[in-house]
Amino acid sequence: MKRSYLPVALLLAVLMLNIIFTQYMVHQYFYENYTNTIIAAVINVILFPVAFLIYKKGVNVHD
Amino acid sequence: MSDKNNKIPFTEDNYTHNINRNNERKLDRRGFMKTLVGAAGVFAVSSLPWGVLAAKELNGLGDKKYPKHKITDVNSLPIGDAVDFAFPGEHDSAILIRLSENKYVAYQNACTHLRCPVFWKKDEQEMLCPCHHGKFDVETGAPTAGPPRRPLPEIHVKVENGAVYAVGVKRYEA
Ligand code: FES
Repeated sequence: MKRSYLPVALLLAVLMLNIIFTQYMVHQYFYENYTNTIIAAVINVILFPVAFLIYKKGVNVHD
Repeated sequence: MSDKNNKIPFTEDNYTHNINRNNERKLDRRGFMKTLVGAAGVFAVSSLPWGVLAAKELNGLGDKKYPKHKITDVNSLPIGDAVDFAFPGEHDSAILIRLSENKYVAYQNACTHLRCPVFWKKDEQEMLCPCHHGKFDVETGAPTAGPPRRPLPEIHVKVENGAVYAVGVKRYEA
């Protein structure tokens, strides 16, 4: 069966978001906007299970 | 030398036959995805301390108490005027602004950009930094224009028998 590279692309997108939110989080921390810091941190944490789900779905189907 | 060693016990001349080095370092799609998920996990874990620190600041644990210090008498400060003082140390210049009858705000007035003294511009109702035209919101100390990105550290004030006192500083680091 032809393997799908869609999950790989999705995971790369997730990682890109991780980078963006990490930078946002650090900056907001130093600008003392602590609510924004917490929001970015929560998003970063949520992105991990999302990445794991993408992996689970993508790895079984076409490999 | 005879070629005996090459025949016993194997006919092949590969004495490392039990080590298969082919594709040993190949990163397939699955392995690559695993790496990506792992990286997402690292990001998630390393976000936690920032969240905790931010929550701590939000709960005011960064506030510091200092012995109370008299700034001025209520009578000598008309509404809308400001007065400079030093708090908590004698070199930490600060500004007290009377916004209304009972509303006073005070900030450490070293600009959060490059520490020029911020002053109170009465007719425009905002705090202005003369060096690079940074502006701060008078109610909160938050930067509203110009280069500064961090708010001015707020000083907690208390009015007691006709005088204004400084009692503590929010997030003051020195
Ligand atoms: S020092 Fe205040 S704006 Fe640059």
